[in-house]
Order: sequence, then C-alpha cells, then structure tokens
Amino acid sequence: MEKKELKWFIALIVIALAFNIITLTPLIPWQSWLLWNRPEPDKSFSITFENNEIILPETELQIQTEKYVEFSAVSKDVTYGLGVFREDGTMVFQMQVLPARENKFVWKFDEPGFYTIRSTEYSGPKHPDMVIKNAIKVSTQ
Amino acid sequence: MPSLGYQEKWTLRYAIVGLLFLALAGIEGILMRLQLVDPGILDNIERVISVIRPGSPEKTVAEQFYGMLTAHPIVGIYGFVYLSLMGVFYFLVPFLLKKDIRFKKLVPFNFFLQVFAVLLCWSSGFFTYFNSLYTLYWPLPVSFDRVPAIGATIFSIGLVLIELNILIFAFNLFATVLRRSNPTPGYSYGRFLAEAFGIGRLVRFIRRDKRKPDPNYEELPVFIVAIGRGSVDTVINAIILLLAGVLILIFSFPFLIAGLRLNASIIDPLVYKNIFWWGLDMIADGNVLMYTAGTWYLLIPLLLNRKLYGESIVRTVILADLLVSMFVWSHHLLADQSQPLFLRVFSGQFVTWGEFITMGLTIFAVLMTVWQARPIKFSPPLKFVMGSIFGFVLGGAAGLIQANSGLNVILHNTQWVIGTHAHTLLLGGLTTLIFAVIYALVPILTKVDLPNNKLVNFHLWSWMAGSLGMSYVMGFAGIEGMLRRTLYYNGEYRDYMVIALISAGLMAVSFVVFLINLIQKLRFMNILRIFKPEMAVNLKKPAYNTSAGMSEQPAKAVN
Repeated sequence: MEKKELKWFIALIVIALAFNIITLTPLIPWQSWLLWNRPEPDKSFSITFENNEIILPETELQIQTEKYVEFSAVSKDVTYGLGVFREDGTMVFQMQVLPARENKFVWKFDEPGFYTIRSTEYSGPKHPDMVIKNAIKVSTQ
Repeated sequence: MPSLGYQEKWTLRYAIVGLLFLALAGIEGILMRLQLVDPGILDNIERVISVIRPGSPEKTVAEQFYGMLTAHPIVGIYGFVYLSLMGVFYFLVPFLLKKDIRFKKLVPFNFFLQVFAVLLCWSSGFFTYFNSLYTLYWPLPVSFDRVPAIGATIFSIGLVLIELNILIFAFNLFATVLRRSNPTPGYSYGRFLAEAFGIGRLVRFIRRDKRKPDPNYEELPVFIVAIGRGSVDTVINAIILLLAGVLILIFSFPFLIAGLRLNASIIDPLVYKNIFWWGLDMIADGNVLMYTAGTWYLLIPLLLNRKLYGESIVRTVILADLLVSMFVWSHHLLADQSQPLFLRVFSGQFVTWGEFITMGLTIFAVLMTVWQARPIKFSPPLKFVMGSIFGFVLGGAAGLIQANSGLNVILHNTQWVIGTHAHTLLLGGLTTLIFAVIYALVPILTKVDLPNNKLVNFHLWSWMAGSLGMSYVMGFAGIEGMLRRTLYYNGEYRDYMVIALISAGLMAVSFVVFLINLIQKLRFMNILRIFKPEMAVNLKKPAYNTSAGMSEQPAKAVN
C-alpha cells in the first residue's frame, strides 16, 4: 500500500469510528434509554393495528414529561408503523409493527403539547388515512 | 453510420429500449410527484387513460398512486438499469477477453424476456392496480382484501420471469469468461471465483515476501473481476426474489381459481423480512457497488490512457466487499424492535459502515488516477463519470447517516430515505454513470462521434441539478417529517413537492436534450434500422473473431 493510500485508509477508519461512537452515545438523547439504561417504563399503552385502523386504549393518551412511557403495538393482519409526530409535523419517533411479533418502544417526552399518531409503514391504499391527530397529550409534572 | 456487427446491434438495442424504460419510469415519477403536490390533479388524465384502462374512474386516487408506485422501481431497475447493463456487459466482457459469447442465442432471448417480464409487472400496476409495493412485506402481497389477487398473480409471474432471465444472463456471462476454447484459453471455475472474491490476490498479498512471482500467472482485467464479484450477488438476489414471487403465486393461484385463502401466518413476517432484505441488498449494497466500481475501473484508465491508481489494493478490497454485502441487510430492519438488537447494531450499523471503507478506497483510487493525469481534457464520458462519483458520494453519505440505530428512529420511512439516499444514488450516481457508458460506447459501436458540444454540457449540468435538486428537496421534507409512500391530502409539504416537481421537470428536459443529441448524430432512420431483424446468422461459426470493425487491441482513449 502506498503512503497516500494508507493515510486515506486510516482517515476512513477514524471517520467511521468517530461517527459510530458518537451516535451510539447519549449525545443522541434517546440512545441513553434505547441502548444503554433500559429503564422500567412508568406507564404503558397497548395500541392495536387492524384493518387499516389504529385503535388506542383511550381517546387521548395522557403522558407526563420526563417520564418513561412504553408503547406496545400489536398488528392483527399486516405490517404497520407506529409514528409519533409533533404539531409542526416533525417526527418524534417510530417503530415497525409486525404481525405475530412483540413490538415495544420506550420513549421519554421532554416537551409538553399535543402529538399525532400516524402509521409510518405502507399497508395498502388506505395507509394515508391512518392518522389520529392530537392522540397524545403531554403535560408537565 | 457503417454497418453494425451482431453484438454491436444487440448492445444498442438493449441500450435504446433501456432508455425507453427510463423515460417510462420518469413519466410515472413526475405523475406521482404531481399527485404529491395535489392528490386530485390527475383526474382529467385519468379520464383519458380510462379509455384504455377499464374501470379506472371508480378507483381512488390512492389506488392509482400506489399502482404506479409499485411498478415504478421495477421499470427503473429491471427495465432501464438491467437492460443497460446486460447490453453493455454482453459487449464488454467478450471484447475485453477477446472471446465470443458462449451462447449467442441467449442474447436476444434475454432481451425479449426481460422486456416482456418488465412490461408484465408494469401492467399489473397499470391495469389491475396491484399496490403491494416492491418491498412485498409479508403478508401484504397476499392480503387480497386490500391487494388485487389478479394483480398479485400477474406481478409475481413477471417477477419470476425477470429473475429467471437474470440467472440465465449471469450463466451466459460466467460461461463466456470460463470458456476454454478458441481464441483464448478460459479460466477454471476455482481460479475465476478466487479472483472474483479477491482471494487469490489476498493470498499473494500476504505471501508476497515468501514466494517468487508466478511468471505464468495472468490476472483477469480488474473490470472482469468486479463484474464477476458483482454477479455472485446478482445470482443470490435473483434466487431470493424468484422465491418471493413463487411464494406469492402459491397463495394467489388457489384464491383466483377457487377462492381458497391459504393461511399466510405460517410465514413469519420477521423471518421473511430478513431473508427478503438479505437478498435485495445483494443489489442495493452488492452488485450496484461492484458493477459501478468495475465500470469506473474500466472507463477512467481507458479515457485517461493510464493505469488505475492502487489497482492492487482495489483487487484485494473486493474480498472485503463480499463480507460487507453478505452481512449488511439489517439496516433495513433498524426500526423493527422485534429484530435482535445485536443484528440491528452490528449488521445494520457497523457492517454497513464497512461500505464507507470499501467505496472510500474505490473512490480514492479513481480520483487519484484522475488527479495524476492532469492536465485533463474532459471528454463527455469522463464528465459523466465524474458526475456519477459525485452522486455516489452524496447518496452514499445519506445512506450511512440513516444506517444508524439512533438516527434511524427519525429517518426511517421518510422522504430522506427515498430522496437523499436512494434517488441521489440511482439518478445522480447510477444513471449518470450509464450515460457515461453510452457516451463512451456509442462512438465505438457505431463509428459516429458524439462531439463534446453544448448539448452534452447542458445534459450533464441539468441532469445533475435536476436529480440532486429533486432528491435533496425530498430529503429536507423528510427531515420535516414527510413520510415516503404516503399521500398527504391537506397540502402538507406542498412547497417542498413543488420544488421537487420543478427539479424533476429539469431532469426531463435534460433527458430530451440527450435524446435530441443522439438522434441528431446517429439519425433517426439509423436508430430504427438497428431494430431491423437480421437475416439468420450461422451462430455455430462466428462471423468474426472480435466485434465487427474493431481491432484486436483494446480501445484507445475516447475524446
């Protein structure tokens, strides 16, 4: 290997390691509980997906900020996606919801407000209709 | 235009029909972009189309959209990309190895079967609104309450035929390389596989101080090594997708014939998803990268008339790329919490970043070759090669950002994935490279120059601006929460989609200018004559040793 090649090779390794290490750390906030701490949730919600409908356990899911919440989603037919979005449309988090599988996701909201739930995985032509506005209300403690 | 030889004619036929499929994919892409701006905007077009497509006024906007969306990648990948590469490889592999194609009758066979099968898949979306999307996530393709069973059947037959055709093509390529006959000896299976996987090179690299060089050893051209390596992935992918098509047919036939619904839950959706993506990533993270790298390794030294920089390292890296493409699939399952965490982090993130190393070394080698060749006169193919490198860097970087267990939480299934990553790679990278190959090969095949004129420059800059503009605007929309595969009925993200539509329009203009340039130089009647059926040729006795009108020497640098 020539010197230039070796230098470039080392640079590639350093960049790859740096990016991956940084993004695995709690510098991305949710990595702290998704990857490292795995805390017990303070609350849990079971959500059912069936026939292109999202069925919530309550009309409005009430959550407090800085509390860990577990979303447990079940599909009775095809693959869906559980996506939570802010009022401005940006995504908070998502997970795939596979039939016959356990689909759980823990999250900690840090901002109060209303959040929308929308299916993030295509499940047929009615996929765009799978949205519940203001499904989640997050309030401060 | 002088009279064309057999292989020149077929290569041009493959390329021209491939470009027609690109046009079809582009038209449907623009129609879908229009629907994302305003979902009802196509109602008037639907009234016209309903003349040839019965029943369409009763279909919803979503059914029309998802029927197009399902057909779109099949037309683009298996129509445009695969037809182009089949035609190019059928010319370049025998030309570089100074051999004849092993089974010449398979050349037209592959052409007609690929065209027929792609149109079959397309028609399932156009006529029957088959809407399962190319991902075919189980059990959606056999959920006949939401997916038309007749569409599933037609699509799957088309898919099976496509994959069978690709296997036959790969067989013919391998048979040509391995052929032990006049005019040059072939390679043994073991030798070829060792070279294709870089194993031979790695062994010699490790033992270089310990044994004397073998004077009888002649390395395969690095382009052939890359194509051989990529074709291993092509075969694996074809087998997996063929099995997916057969699986769907097992469920759809009994339903169509007797209304019988088989139990789809016997197939675990997570296991299916893992196998499906392992197979499909043999294209996305396997043969695309290898075929692209191989084409750069061929074109850049040819166009600059100098040896590839770092060729020995590149040959060894090909082995590393095998490990990457085999173990990378879990980056498609980063959002699946039921996928084991080890697989999500190791395969989905770390192994995927292995592509950063392998493609990083590849791009370094080709760019150093260019750098050391200064001063350079940039011919049309060289300009497009440089554009393709730029597209691959941008699209690849976007892919690496989303192949991350943390960032994927907010990027998966958004427009970032399909825009900044997939379409940047496919349009800015891969399609630009295919244009480069066309600009390089057409003068060789036809003896007609494609001069370095304003039309070429307009084609290049408008294509890059349009493709990257559309892709990146889609990506910005994705960061703002816009999902892929989702119609927004209330005008959300409309501003982004308008800009994406304008960029797509720029690409369309660029493509038309490219066609005008080609037609002006080759003449329209000559292009039609390329499709004139030839008289029966005695294929047992080759009419020529190499391509008609070509010398025995490799082509010189194209200006």
